[in-house]
Amino acid sequence: MIHIEHLTKRYGDVTAINDLSFDVRAGVVTGFLGPNGSGKSTTMRVILGLDAPSKGTATINGKAYADLKSPLREVGALLDAKAVHPGRSARNHLLSLAASNKIKASRVDEVLEIVGLSGVAKKRAGDFSLGMGQRLGIAAAILGDPQILLFDEPVNGLDPEGIRWVRDLFRSLANEGRTVFVSSHLMSEMALTADHLVVIGRGHLITQGSVAELTANAKSTVYVRSSNPNGLADALRSKKFEVSANNEQSLSVIGATSDEVGELAHELGITILELTPERASLEEAFMELTADEVEYSGSPSTKKAVTA
Amino acid sequence: MSTTISLGSSVRSEWIKFRSVRSTLWGLITLVILTIGIGVLVSFAVRGHWSHASFRDRITFDPVNTSLSGTLFAQFAVGVIGALFVSNEYANKTIRTSLSAMPRRMTFAFGKITVLVVSLFLITEAVCIIAFLAGQSVLSGVTPTGSLGNASDLRAVLSAGVYLTLLSLLGLALGLILRHTSWAISVFVSLLLILPLLVFLLPSNWQNDVSKYLPANLGQSMTSTTVAAHSFAPWTAMIILVVYVAGLLTAGLMLLVSRDV
Repeated sequence: MIHIEHLTKRYGDVTAINDLSFDVRAGVVTGFLGPNGSGKSTTMRVILGLDAPSKGTATINGKAYADLKSPLREVGALLDAKAVHPGRSARNHLLSLAASNKIKASRVDEVLEIVGLSGVAKKRAGDFSLGMGQRLGIAAAILGDPQILLFDEPVNGLDPEGIRWVRDLFRSLANEGRTVFVSSHLMSEMALTADHLVVIGRGHLITQGSVAELTANAKSTVYVRSSNPNGLADALRSKKFEVSANNEQSLSVIGATSDEVGELAHELGITILELTPERASLEEAFMELTADEVEYSGSPSTKKAVTA
Repeated sequence: MSTTISLGSSVRSEWIKFRSVRSTLWGLITLVILTIGIGVLVSFAVRGHWSHASFRDRITFDPVNTSLSGTLFAQFAVGVIGALFVSNEYANKTIRTSLSAMPRRMTFAFGKITVLVVSLFLITEAVCIIAFLAGQSVLSGVTPTGSLGNASDLRAVLSAGVYLTLLSLLGLALGLILRHTSWAISVFVSLLLILPLLVFLLPSNWQNDVSKYLPANLGQSMTSTTVAAHSFAPWTAMIILVVYVAGLLTAGLMLLVSRDV
């Protein structure tokens, strides 16, 4: 388990992480979601003991990273797919890592096989595509067969087949009871990959919970086509629902359920031609959450009008 | 087998890194060519002009130092090898991978230092002995020559290897402090080439007192069989150079331990 407690990281005047607290549990894939520059990579570097926190702590199974006896056997991490000496072969890159933690050379060939790089193991890593670099980074992360895995933006540069492979790999690692922590700025990717989400913006925790919970909390939208769209729109607005006209006949009603819209139309004697509840996507949930975050930190009031 | 990381595992890891990049190989080839090649060329030049040499030149002639002239050029090759060994890690961000595999940063750094010192010491000593023997065979029959059987000649030849090894460590220390290949190499070259020019601008009565402390002049003192005017005795010169390198290395290690990567 990864435990982050009141973590703050400042670089000079810039606060990259501000009083962040959350846990990453074993057995599930935890997505770490936030816009670019929200502090995801910084948090990962602090977890790995590369950057020292200004305040607070990040621990791995109750221990500071620096106190791990054999770090690669306990924690595997992929921070940057391009972080390889361009002149060194993939195999030598992994062999040097394995040697540092007394991992057998045979395990290097094993992980190269797992990530599908056996054929190019002796080629210069500088000639690798970004996707191959990601595979090499994943090979390095699983080298010590660790129980805890961290991946920073692992799908960048992967082709669709590679993305699918990574998703399945994360799933099977989590099913084996491991802790899998994956960052991304792509909500759609996280919706497919993660079970649990930690959402941050500007270094704060915005929310955390399961993917289902987060989408359930988002405002739902109902699409309605009726015989009298203007009359229905006025009635809905008087009930404080947000309504927008799509065309001559149809409306989108935000924050209402299809039951509420249907009953209101019945009371007014309006004929419903079509009524479709549209589930909020994770992306919409995310936009709503980050908008709140902006409002919370005192940004211009135009944002408030949009979200209220 | 214990699975706990140690200096031994750090050394093995760094050795794989050291031997698996081409820059190390090119640096070593340059070292060999410059040390032996220039030593031989200078020895040929001296041999050719010996009949015209003044009496003063003849009595101050140092056949050992002459055959080791190539170290003045090879010192840049070893500095680059040392600097790159660290700065490369920062340039391609493998420093993050390395330090997450080995979070005890001192253990990481001493692994690197051990690999650099041992491999460069063995190679530079071998190269300097070859340069010495090649130079003496060029000079032999015309000028006085040195012999490894002579204690002060042997000391001068072995000191040349020590000098080059210390300079590679100086490069490594600059890599730790500056973290950029170009900065580390620029500062290294400045210490050897620009600093003497600055000393030259000092009042002339200071120059003799100051210039003997310059790294390149310490190297000359270490590889001479006689003590020239305004220079340190060989062992004193070596101790001063060791102090320089230890100082910069300590600064580099302290920065490595305290800085974010």
